[in-house]
Order: sequence, then structure tokens, then C-alpha cells
Amino acid sequence: MSWLPLSFGAPMVLWGLLALPVIWWLLRLTPPKPQTEVFPPLRILARVLRREETPQQSPWWLTLLRLLMAALVVMALAEPVFNPREKLPAEGAALALVIDNGWATAADWGKRVATAERLIGDAGSNGVPVVIAFTAEKPNAEIGPFDASAALDHLRAAKPRPVPTDRPAVYARVAAALERLPGASVAVLADGLAAKGDDAAFKMLLEKNAARLVWATSDRTSLTGLIGADNQVDGFALTAIRAPGDPAPAQVTAGAFDDKGRRIADATLTFAPGEASATATMTVPFELRNDFASIALDGEHQAGAVRVLDESSKRRRVGLLSQAEADQAQPLLSPLYYIRRALQPFADLVEPSSADLADAIPQLLDQKPAMIIMADVGTIPEQVKQRLVDWVDKGGTLVRFAGPRLAAAGNDDDLLPVRLRSGERALGGALSWTTPQAVTEFPKNGPFADLSPPSEVMVSRQVLAEPTPDIVERTWATLADGTPLVTGMKKDKGTLVLFHVTPEATWSNLPISGTFVEMLRRVVQLSRNQGAAIANAEATAASLAPYRMIGADGMLTPPSPDARPLVPGAGPLPVTLENPPGLYGSETGVFAHNLLNASSTFAPLTRPQVSLPVTAIPYAFDESENLKGPLVAMALLLMVLDTLAVFWMGGLLARRPRRVAAATTMAILVVLGGLFGHADLARADDSKPGDAQAIEDISKTRIAYVITGEPGVDSISRAGLEGLTRFLIEKTALEPGPPAGVDIAKDELSFFPLIYWPIDATAPMPSQAAIARIDAYMQQGGTVLFDTRDQFSNGIGAGSASPATERLRDILANLNVPPLEPVPSDHVLTKSFFILPEFPGRFNGSPLWVEASLEASNTENRPVRTGDGVSPIMITANDFAGAWAVDESGDPMLPTVPPDPMQRVYALRAGVNIMMYMLTGNYKSDQVHVPVLLERLGQ
Amino acid sequence: MGRIGEVQAPVATRDALARGRLRASLVPDLLVEARRIVNTVIAGWHGRRKRGIGENFWQFRPYVEGDSSRIDWRRSARDDHTYVRDREWEAAHTVWLWADPSPSMLYKSAGAGVSKESRALVLALALAELLSRSGERIAWPGLTDPFTARNGAERIAAQLSHAGALRAKPDLSAIRRFCDIVLVSDFLDPVEETMAWLDVLARHGVRAHLIEVADPAEETFPYAGRTEFTDPETGDKLTAGRAEMLAEEYRLLYRARREELAAWCKRLGWSYTVNHTDRLASEALVRVHMAMTVEGGHAASIANRAGKAVA
Repeated sequence: MSWLPLSFGAPMVLWGLLALPVIWWLLRLTPPKPQTEVFPPLRILARVLRREETPQQSPWWLTLLRLLMAALVVMALAEPVFNPREKLPAEGAALALVIDNGWATAADWGKRVATAERLIGDAGSNGVPVVIAFTAEKPNAEIGPFDASAALDHLRAAKPRPVPTDRPAVYARVAAALERLPGASVAVLADGLAAKGDDAAFKMLLEKNAARLVWATSDRTSLTGLIGADNQVDGFALTAIRAPGDPAPAQVTAGAFDDKGRRIADATLTFAPGEASATATMTVPFELRNDFASIALDGEHQAGAVRVLDESSKRRRVGLLSQAEADQAQPLLSPLYYIRRALQPFADLVEPSSADLADAIPQLLDQKPAMIIMADVGTIPEQVKQRLVDWVDKGGTLVRFAGPRLAAAGNDDDLLPVRLRSGERALGGALSWTTPQAVTEFPKNGPFADLSPPSEVMVSRQVLAEPTPDIVERTWATLADGTPLVTGMKKDKGTLVLFHVTPEATWSNLPISGTFVEMLRRVVQLSRNQGAAIANAEATAASLAPYRMIGADGMLTPPSPDARPLVPGAGPLPVTLENPPGLYGSETGVFAHNLLNASSTFAPLTRPQVSLPVTAIPYAFDESENLKGPLVAMALLLMVLDTLAVFWMGGLLARRPRRVAAATTMAILVVLGGLFGHADLARADDSKPGDAQAIEDISKTRIAYVITGEPGVDSISRAGLEGLTRFLIEKTALEPGPPAGVDIAKDELSFFPLIYWPIDATAPMPSQAAIARIDAYMQQGGTVLFDTRDQFSNGIGAGSASPATERLRDILANLNVPPLEPVPSDHVLTKSFFILPEFPGRFNGSPLWVEASLEASNTENRPVRTGDGVSPIMITANDFAGAWAVDESGDPMLPTVPPDPMQRVYALRAGVNIMMYMLTGNYKSDQVHVPVLLERLGQ
Repeated sequence: MGRIGEVQAPVATRDALARGRLRASLVPDLLVEARRIVNTVIAGWHGRRKRGIGENFWQFRPYVEGDSSRIDWRRSARDDHTYVRDREWEAAHTVWLWADPSPSMLYKSAGAGVSKESRALVLALALAELLSRSGERIAWPGLTDPFTARNGAERIAAQLSHAGALRAKPDLSAIRRFCDIVLVSDFLDPVEETMAWLDVLARHGVRAHLIEVADPAEETFPYAGRTEFTDPETGDKLTAGRAEMLAEEYRLLYRARREELAAWCKRLGWSYTVNHTDRLASEALVRVHMAMTVEGGHAASIANRAGKAVA
């Protein structure tokens, strides 16, 4: 089967396929077992059957199905493997795996592990020990020899490291380990990058004791690394490299991230065909560039494609020096005022605390500023001048402004870009022929070349440079008459700049023009920070603690326990496992330690020329697939088909279609149910006892009465409310339900707008809890109508009270009763349905007490007083229920006192008014004002 | 896969008797047509204890002139009178009952309530109960001779339960004419065989009532798929590859057999009743009852023929 990527683990089993014809013959001869049936009219059937050709053989397709099934089983037993991989030849006394796990392996580490796993697996099946070593691990890491499973554990524990490999040291250890295992197969899983000492390392590894070399390498090193990220004047210059000799063009995108990991800029680097390096400029505003914390190449998950940035590529620190301290009172005349205003947005301004230059300059230099601006500083003290010169030589930018002091101070070759004539030159003025000069086009060689000359700037006074041969190239800006306005020169690594005018608007109006800001900005961008700010904090600290490390996958991570403090010193710092790339320092200032430096290249690793047999294998995931499972599954599927076919032929499906269909549906449902979980049929049953009662109570408005426990009182209450209900139905639009008796200790009260409470002295006193419920009911908007029914049984005299009244007082003592008053004549109760002057019940004469409407006013003599709310309490002694009470036939049950039929009518009307008041509140009191309101509206 | 049909154990005769009685209680008393006395239809046996046409001696009576009866000269020779010998009026009719005891009757399909044998026995015993209630003489070929008893059904049931194996096809030649015979069977033998067997009845002038007890599965043939059929009597086996393919043709043959038999019976003036075991036994009972009682012209014509035969 060479044309198929298929191989068999046990090809001998395939001979079993020869049995297929036998199976075919057997299958052809063996029909399916019939269903046996007793059948008395067999003789009749026999006459029919004689003519029918009994199928003695299975149908051909069933035979084919079964043959296929048998063939599949045979094939499955032969352990077929699709896409088989080459096995490591079973020779050699041991397997030595040397695996590069440097930064370059991070991107395809999985493949490398898979390759190594295969090798270890083969070694395990060959039963040879395995030496496994990683080239970017600590030098004391265990390398074996292990047995295969331990080696696998080591392999799985290993991870790529964000550091370069150290082949010589590790290979030496492996070679030492192989001393005891001569004739080992050496498998080199290299990262494809050449490093120093490779030749010697390979020689050491392969010279002795190696019987065979397995060389695993990727086809091509597809790494891209970022070797430079430089904050320049107009953008961030990026340099990326790739392995040389790649004929295809390539494009990578670099992204810049701030310290929170947010992407704030990107740029595309294009590798020309065959080129190994590419550059690009990330053109973003200077302010934004200051926020860059790291730059990474997209899609490259390895440490080489990430550069962290430290202070040296950030906001410039600018030191300001002036000798005119006295000018503080007049800020606009302060020489540094305009400079400060101009630089504040894009530079850190540093000012010395001392006015004495001898103190001030060292103070400034200690802050390692990128630039120092001196506003009209004449002579610089000798003791600090050398430090300043050194600072400039190392890259500092010194910007000086002219002024009377400078003009008087004379020349300073070290710290001025040009020689100056002593004294200043005045342009214009009463005694001068000249006029103030404008600024012309900026010279092309200066940093201001792309600025347009400010037409509004006029220079009336300046210091003049001595004409020298190089004056032209040092001139950054000139006046219209050709004299330099700004001169500058490179001095060693640093820059000296001189503005030939003062930094305030006395000599010219340049400092108050927008061009001044732009010019200063260009100069600032030219400057370079002179070291990290940590210098001032722990300037003398010997080492920097690890702060943020670049992980092997290119992510910034907290430092690992292996990371050691970085000792800054002369020369490039090596990237080691102790000092992995990343940021060192602390939050206040960091030092960037990057994996690649500007001179890095990706030299490809070549296979060492050795006399050993060499097997080259690619890095790849194991793609071989064991087909045993799928084949068995197919055979099982065919078996199911066969079963169904036999059922069909046996007539099961035809004989009991409905039952089979139902059973099939059932089975499918059961399976589906099993698959998709069981539907949660149990719905929360939130019904509670008493729901029906509650629904009944709130479906209709019902008037409630308190069940006192005295049967006579309760029956009269019920009959009374029944009578009132009838009257309401008869006279009003309100159709209440049957009256509800409530037990105030237990029943829910909030369903009822009004609770009628006949006070009976003989009834048991309600419990405190019940009274608290009543209180809550009243607070929540309910109304209780207390009826003492003792209008005529009160004792004579103010102090005397009937037992019912006493009881009422007892009850009310525990309630929050508002101030009460008898219903005033303009209360809405008197108008809510019928106009009623009084509220008689069975008795007449007792006032109806309601909550005193204290705030209510009736200033304009309206029919009803205004006021909000419904009284939560009403007290009467007139025995309303007695007057309302009717029996089944609607006849009054109790006589009124005095027996006046109209009094009963009035009592019922009082009940109607109370109910209406309950349900409509002060609506009626507003309603009676409608004519007045309409009149006001002019209707 | 459950079978459709099965062979059941023979039904307990006592059980069949109980069920037969239950069926019989639903049917009015069976008045068998006394074919020879067309003009008298008397129920019960009491009215028949008188002279009449019969085979057995009843009395000698003096000859009166004009008497159509022949003078019994042997008796008359004893004294001076001439006598006529009267015979007992044998009005009580003899009804032979027979239920097929063959193994094929034990078949019961899933759709049927009872086995054919059970149904046949119930029908036979129910008839026995009816007939004995009416005072008829009943008999079971190969088992009992005709007898008259109130508890005829019980006696037959008792005899059946003690009889052991009965012949599948009893000899019917002993049955004389003017008798009725009720044959309950499935009549699944080839029609020619059945006819040959029953031909003796036709020749003797026996009126036969054939009740075919049929199982629904035999009639509808609900089998499908590869099926091996076994004959419960002979043990023969037949295997059908696709049983459902045979159904149509089988049904035709099955029905043709029944129709042929029914036509033959009709020609002989016999009744042919089909009773399915998934239906009620009473249906067949009522139909046979109807057939045995007087049926107008048809019965009269039979009587005429019988009269002629007597003459």
C-alpha cells in the first residue's frame, strides 16, 4: 500500500482477508433464522408456497454488508495507521536528546516537544535510556540518563526560556554523560540559530561515543527580531531583522504599547526580498511616544520580538538655569517664563533650588537631564564648568540664551557654539541706521528646516557671532541681514545651542511667538536623556532588582524566582537565565534589558559535518492516526445496519410498524434526553396555603369586620355589613363582595380598605401582637372604624366611661393614634356621596371622630376643606352595624333609638359616605371645587 | 419477537361447560324442529309420551273401522278382537354434537381470545345444554349414544373429560336419518376429505350443522418476513422467505375452501356457520339455533322430502 499513507502494525493479520470467500460461502448458504410459527391451515398454505421460490440464500447486499463487516474487523485487527511516521531505528545504547529551549524556540515549542516525545517514545519502545538536556536551562539541571517515562516528565516540565542558548556548556555535560553510554544516538533539536562556540560544542558532543546523529531542524528560521527602537526627532525608529537569505519579501507589524499594555501605535516593517533587516518609523506625536513602554512585533510570540523601553527613550528632562532671581515679582520679565511655558507640555522641567551656579549646576547634572537651558548666564564657575562640559560631551544638550550678562561675559569656547563678539548689537533705535530685523528662511541644515519663518518676529537686539568658516553650517536660524539668530553645533555626543537673543521679549519678540515653542521643541527632541532617573534615587546602588520580565512568549510577566538583580556595568550586559530580558529597577525608574542589541543577526545554524550516520527529521506534530478505532466503529455501524436489515427481512418492521415506530421514537427520545440532559420539569410551586382566600379577598372589594369572639356581636357585625353592602350595591357604583370577618391576630388585613371593629367589653382583649398588626395596617393606609356602641350607656359625667369605651382606650393606648377631632362640617366625609350633617347609627348623637386635619385649611370658605390623606381611624359610639343590620329578607334586625325610619336611612348613608371616603379619599373635596376651577380657567 | 400463534393446552372440560352454560343461558330454549311431525311443535318431552309414529312399541289398541293402521295380526290372533299395534311417538329429536378434538384446534393466535378447541367445546356444550333443556336427545359420536337427560351437557362434559383421546374423525355411519348433527370444527382439511367424511351423513339424510371455528390469524394471515410454519397435526414444516408475499394468495385459497364447503352444505340443506375466536361464541350459537328451529319453507321442504322417504 505504498500509494496510500497507510501502514499496518500487524500486517500478518491481513491474511485473514483470505477467509472472506469462506465467509461469503457460509453467508450465502445460511439464511437468517426464520420466525417459527404454528399454523394449522398449513396445507392450504402449502398449495400457495409450492409456487413460490423460497429464498434459500441471503440477498446479495446483505452478504456484501457482512463481508464488508468481516473485512473491516480484519483490517482493524491489523492495527492500521494512517500517515505513519518513521520510527527511530532501534540501534544505539542510549538516546541523547539535546534540545534548544532558548527564546527562538518559543513560537513552535509544541512541535519541538512533539518531536522529542516521539523520539523518547521510540527510545522507550527500544528500551534504551534517555539523556535529555536543554541548552537554556540552568547549568545544574539534571540530564539523566532517565528511562523513557522520566525523560517524558522532564520534557514536559521544560519550557522555552527568553534567553539565548548556551550550547557549549550543555553539550559538554551531555558528552560527559555519554562517556558511560558509548554508541548512543544523539538527537539535536536545535533552534536554528548559530551562536558562538557552536563548532567546538558539536565537536565535543559528537566526536566520541555518538553512534548516530538525529538532526531536527525547521526548514527555515522564520524568526523576526526587533533589534532597535529609537525615539527620534519625528518618530520612533524601529529596526527588525530576520534570518538572512530569505528571498521572499515579508512584512511585519510592530505595535507600541504603554505601561498598561494598551496598544497606542503601530508601524509596518517591510523586508525587501533577500534583505535580512528592515526599518520603519513609527510616526506618532512626541507626547504619545513618551508613553511607549514596549514595542512588539505582531504574531511573533517570542522574546526577541519584544523590546522594552526605559527612560532613555522617554520625556526629556530639561534643566533650567537663570541668574535673574530678582525678577520673580514680575513674571513676564523673568527670563525663564516663556521657556517654562513653552516646554511644560512635553518635557520635565528641573530647576535647581539654589541660585548659586556652583550649587545649581551640579544639582541639575545629578538629575541627568537631557537638556539644560541657561537663560543669560554669563560666566560659569570654573569648579562646575568641567562637569558641565563632560555632560555635554556625553550627550547633553546645552541651550543658552543671550542677554546682557552673556554679552558681557566674553567668549566661552567650550560651552558656546560660536565665538561671540563682545557686546551686543542693537538694531533700530534713535541712534541707529538699521531697523529691527525679521527672521528669514531657516537654513536647510538646521533642525528648524521644516518650520516656516515667523514673519511677525522682529529682533531688535542680539549678540553677534564672530564670522568663522563654519559659521554657516552652525547657523540654525538667521535674520534677514544674514546674521545668525540661533547657532548650534555638535560637541562630541552632545549639542550646544545658542539663541542670540534673550529668552524674554526684551531683545526681540521671538519668545512670544509660536515659532519659539516649535524651535524649543525641536531642540528638546534632539536631546537625549542622560541615564535613568533611578540614578538620583539609588545612584550608587550596585544592582537593579528585576521589575518586569519578558516571558518566553514575549509577554511582560512578573519576575521569576530565577531572576537576579542586574548589575549595570561597562559594556553590553549579557542576557542570561539570571538576567532575563526585561525591565530592571522599580516603579520610579527602570532600566531596559533587551534580548537583542543593535548588532544582533540571525545566523542560521548549519549541520556539523560529521562522519556519523545522520537522520534529518523535521519538527512536526505526530500526524499518524491509528485507524483501528474508526474501523471498529464502522464495523459496529455495519453491524447495526445488518441487525436492522435482518429485522426488516424478518418482517418485524412490517409486522408491527406502529409498535416498532413507537419503540424507535421512544429510544431516540430516551437517547436524546440522555444527551441533552433532562428537562427540568419540576416547576417551582409557589402556591401557599391561603392563596385561594387571598385571591378571593382581593378580587372584589370587601368590607371587613373584626371577629371579636362574641357570637352576638359578630353576627350583628356581619349582618350590618351585609346590609351596608346591599345598600351600596343599590345606591352606588360600588359592588362590594360579601363582608369578611377577620381575625386580627392571624388574617392578612391589607386586603381590606375598611375594618369595622365593634368594641365589646366582654370580648377578650386582643393580644399585643394583634394590636401591632392593626397599628401596621393603619400605618400602611388602612382604616379602622371603632364602634363602642354605647352612646346611651355612658355614665353621666365627663369622667365616667362605659366598659366598651374603657376597652377602646386600652386598645388605643397601644396604637399610634393621630390627633382626633369630630368630623367638622366641611370635612369631605360629609360630602363624599350624600350630604350629611351627622353620622347616626342605631343611636344618634355620638360624634364620628376622625384624624384631625391640622394642616387642612378652608380659607376661601369653600364647601369642603382641602387636605390630603384618609383618616386611618374613625371612632363612633352610634352602633353603625346595629343600624345597618338586615336579615335574610332584607328587613332591619334591630330597632333604632329612637325608632325613626329615617335614622336608619341616614345611618346607611353615613356608611356609604364612609366607604366612598375610604375608596376615593379626598377626590370629592377636589371634585366640589371643579366649578371654581373651571371658572378660573375661563371656561 | 413474539409469535403470533401458539398451541394451547386443551381446555378443561369443566371450564368449557361453565362457559357453555353461560352462553346457553343467553339463548332461548332450543326447539328443534321435529321434521316428521310438521304440524306439532311441542316443547319438552312430556307431550310426546303418546302413541305416534315411532320405532318402539307403545300399545295395542282395538281396530276400528277406517283405521288406516295395519292390523297386528299376531296379537289379534290371540282373541276375537282385532288389534292395531301403536308405536310410541318418538317426537324427541336426536341431535348429535361433535367438537373437533384434533390438535389443530388447539391453536390460538395473539388476536384471538381463546383457542379454537375451547371455542368449539363451548359451543358444543352450550348446544348440549340448550338441547337437554328442551328435552331433546343428545349424543356425541364415538362417545355416547343418544340419551335424554336434564343434565345432558354435564353428562357429556363428564364423559368427555374421562374419555381420553378421541378419534379425530369419528364414524358417522351410525347416525340415522332424521337426526341433526352439529359439527364444530375448523374444517381445515382439504374440502374433498371433509366432503368424503360427511358424505355418509348426506346419504343417511341427516341434517348437519357445520360450525367452522376460525382463528383470525388463519383468516387474515398477518405473518411477515421469513417464517417457518409448522402444522400442529402432522408436524410438517414450511418455510416462507417473505411470508407477507403469500398472504394475498393464501387468503384467496382459504376463503375458497370455506365457500366451497358452505356451498356444498347449502346444496344439501345444511347450515354452515363461521365463528371467529375473536368474536363471541353466542353469535354462532344464535345462528345455529336459528338454523335448527323451524325455518319456514326450507324446513317444510325438508319435511316433505322426509315424508316421502317415509312413505
